[in-house]
Amino acid sequence: MDFLIDYILIPMVKIGVVFGVISLVVAYLTLLERKVIAFIQVRLGPMRVGPHGLLQPIADGLKLMLKEDIVPAGADRLIFTMAPIMTLIPAFIVFAVIPFGPDFELFGRQVGFFITDLNIGVLYVLAISSIGILGVILGGWASNSKYPLLGALRSAAQMVSYEVALGFSIIGVLLLAGTLSLVEIVEAQRDAGVWYVFLQPVGFVLFFICGVAETNRAPFDLPEAESELVAGFHTEYSGFRFSLFFLAEYASMIVISSMAVTLFWGGWLRPFPGIGALGFLDYIPPFVWFALKVLVFLYLYLWFRASWPRYRYDQLMSLGWRILMPIAIANVIVTAALALALRR
Amino acid sequence: MTETRGKSFDMSTDEQTLFDANEVTVSMGPQHPSTHGVLQVRLKLDGEKVMDAECVIGYLHRGVEKLGENQTYGQFVPTLDRMDYIAAVSNCLGYCEAIEKMLEVEAPPRAQYVRVILTELNRISSHLLWLGTHALDIGAMTVFLYCFREREEILKIFENYCGARLTTHVFRIGGLQYELYDGFEDEVRAFVKGFPEKVDEYETLLTENRIWLGRTRDVGVLNKQDAIDMGVTGPCLRASGVEWDIRKSNPYAAYAEFDFDVPTGEHGDTYDRYLVRIEEMRQSNRIVSQAVEKIPGGPIRAKVGKIIKPPVGDVYHSIEAPKGELGYYVVSDGSTQPYRVRVRPPSYVNLQALRQMVIGHMVADVVAVIGTLDIVLGEIDR
Amino acid sequence: MKVVRPEAMSILKKIFLVDLIKGLLLTFSYQRPSANYTEQYPKVRPKVSERFRGAPRLNNDPVTGETLCIACNLCALACPEYCIEVGWERTEEGKKALTTFTFDLSRCMFCGLCEDACPTPCLELTQDFELALYGRKDMKWDRQKLEEGNQPIVYTR
Repeated sequence: MDFLIDYILIPMVKIGVVFGVISLVVAYLTLLERKVIAFIQVRLGPMRVGPHGLLQPIADGLKLMLKEDIVPAGADRLIFTMAPIMTLIPAFIVFAVIPFGPDFELFGRQVGFFITDLNIGVLYVLAISSIGILGVILGGWASNSKYPLLGALRSAAQMVSYEVALGFSIIGVLLLAGTLSLVEIVEAQRDAGVWYVFLQPVGFVLFFICGVAETNRAPFDLPEAESELVAGFHTEYSGFRFSLFFLAEYASMIVISSMAVTLFWGGWLRPFPGIGALGFLDYIPPFVWFALKVLVFLYLYLWFRASWPRYRYDQLMSLGWRILMPIAIANVIVTAALALALRR
Repeated sequence: MTETRGKSFDMSTDEQTLFDANEVTVSMGPQHPSTHGVLQVRLKLDGEKVMDAECVIGYLHRGVEKLGENQTYGQFVPTLDRMDYIAAVSNCLGYCEAIEKMLEVEAPPRAQYVRVILTELNRISSHLLWLGTHALDIGAMTVFLYCFREREEILKIFENYCGARLTTHVFRIGGLQYELYDGFEDEVRAFVKGFPEKVDEYETLLTENRIWLGRTRDVGVLNKQDAIDMGVTGPCLRASGVEWDIRKSNPYAAYAEFDFDVPTGEHGDTYDRYLVRIEEMRQSNRIVSQAVEKIPGGPIRAKVGKIIKPPVGDVYHSIEAPKGELGYYVVSDGSTQPYRVRVRPPSYVNLQALRQMVIGHMVADVVAVIGTLDIVLGEIDR
Repeated sequence: MKVVRPEAMSILKKIFLVDLIKGLLLTFSYQRPSANYTEQYPKVRPKVSERFRGAPRLNNDPVTGETLCIACNLCALACPEYCIEVGWERTEEGKKALTTFTFDLSRCMFCGLCEDACPTPCLELTQDFELALYGRKDMKWDRQKLEEGNQPIVYTR
């Protein structure tokens, strides 16, 4: 009975809640992007559908679902359908390991505020996000057209290159925390009394830059920009399949933001967890802190998109390999040296 | 350069497989978000590098010059607005001055000052649109909206003066049609006062931005001799190092009375053209601020009579339009309709330079170079 | 004058992304609602200027109610697109009286030459710009439509 509840019922409920909440956030992130970018551009954004455009994601979703289903001639139907699913699912299942808050009591049981606590959490996240790249390549291949294929290959090459630097930038945090589990990394930050961003500022900046490049967002969004010759891997996609790609992009934005918050900005911890004098901040529940921090990072994504031009492809790749990678490696070496020196 | 001229390539007979290591011919077709109109550029690509580029124009040809032969001199003026629809005031000015030259009539000083003010405001508005679309192509979306907000102010002034925002039909042969409305000077002064800080804002967003520098520096270089050889005029010529501005060399319409500088660049790349046009906006602002203080009184139109019949002969008159040297060659046979009106559009001549500027660069740079040439298809195709 | 290229960025500025952050701060400052520049049409109708060249109208004498048009045909001669047709007949006094007046709105480019040519205040281009119609045949406006003016359906939501 205990086994049934602990291992089947409670996880199912958690999965349902997380999936529902993340889907809602992804849908309203599309609206938030349009509104934020509109305000930066001194205009108003969607205003007609619902009050101040609040029903816009529903209208968009309905429209995309009801559109005509077009599959290009000669395209591999099965892979054409599977590719967006292969991009979307990894973006969602990463949320299985992210802690949204501390453990809490529920009907006498100790329940963790996460779906599962893998002891290789960070490795799991990196591995699963790499599967998403496969979906991009297959999407381009299955379209049976020159330009989506070239766009998909460029997009995939970009994602893979920045994944390397991303991995290196996380190593500093792992050295400080001593564990790969995300739950324990947050607890290590609580025990250290300070968020890791203050100990690893270079690592954080690198992580975020690589994260933005990983999700193909501005200023690294040349493969899918409209003014480019090749409209990217999702040229031939329309209707529901396009909406899946679209949602996958926003879901991976939330993934990178959540990872940045968990690894560097203390997860669900309040600011300055070590200083007791700020105890009044404890009145705000921890998952609200988590949500606020993730929102800040999502806002940064939108802010970057609205403000900066985009890099050309060769400049993008050169930035990833020739500038960010050496800095990441140097960060690892310096962190390791300092950690060793200070431990003695 | 001469050995590659004159070769055209036919896409239908090119045989290529998907992974052919040789050249791929790609048509950056007439419908494209960044070709600023219906321009087709046929690119021969080797991977990502452009080996050759051929422009195909004519998708917007409307027979404007032929229409001129069947309309009277006065009736032809609004048709000319539709050529360079972004900077319609310059088109009007060039033609009216050409006909005035043929009739040997001079517009009164009040008309000349107002002509200068409106033409310089028009120059600012054209450059603002250029900046917005160029930045948008390269990815900076916000600059587009900010530029259009400023442009809205200028278009309001045009609308208040002559009744239309874009296809203004603002001058007539001999001077102006409408007297200035109350509040013209105040509105222009308010605009002129607030504009320099707006230009500073665009510069904050773009000029020192490393991404912008990476996309525009050393891209699309046009050296001095090639620019002169090809007949390129306007900011593209000035950015290559040639100090040539018709407002200074052959002054027309009261420009000789104002104090302004002509910015020139050095390297002839996209970044220099950007800097030149930004500075031109500031200088235009300077001209307008000087002109609006001392508009003379007097009549607004010279006596040309209701029916305009120039003597037999021809005239060529050119002005400095925002995009370059806009020239009008009008042949008259003594009747009320011109025998031939030939327009020398600046964008048409500047477009020749595209090929040379793009060879050796990547596909993403083609978009930047088309943007920096500041072409308007309405003018190229007429 | 030579345009001045900004000098190369110092190492410190490069590392701390100063140029990028300056751009970010500028765009951030524009989010204030007072900077918003949108007019929400059709709830808020734009105010066009007095001299706006919109839909044409034939004016009547406010006292007698008769048309002010003297059928001089100058507007038809002035139009570059030949969209005006003036029909007239001779009255008993020998004066010209207007019978029909056709204005083809689909050919009109709203240049205002007809308004300039009219010697009386009869032909006027009004401030009406909402001229969308469902068919081409509705675009040939006869005298009655020109005198009444276009009455579009006003949507306020």
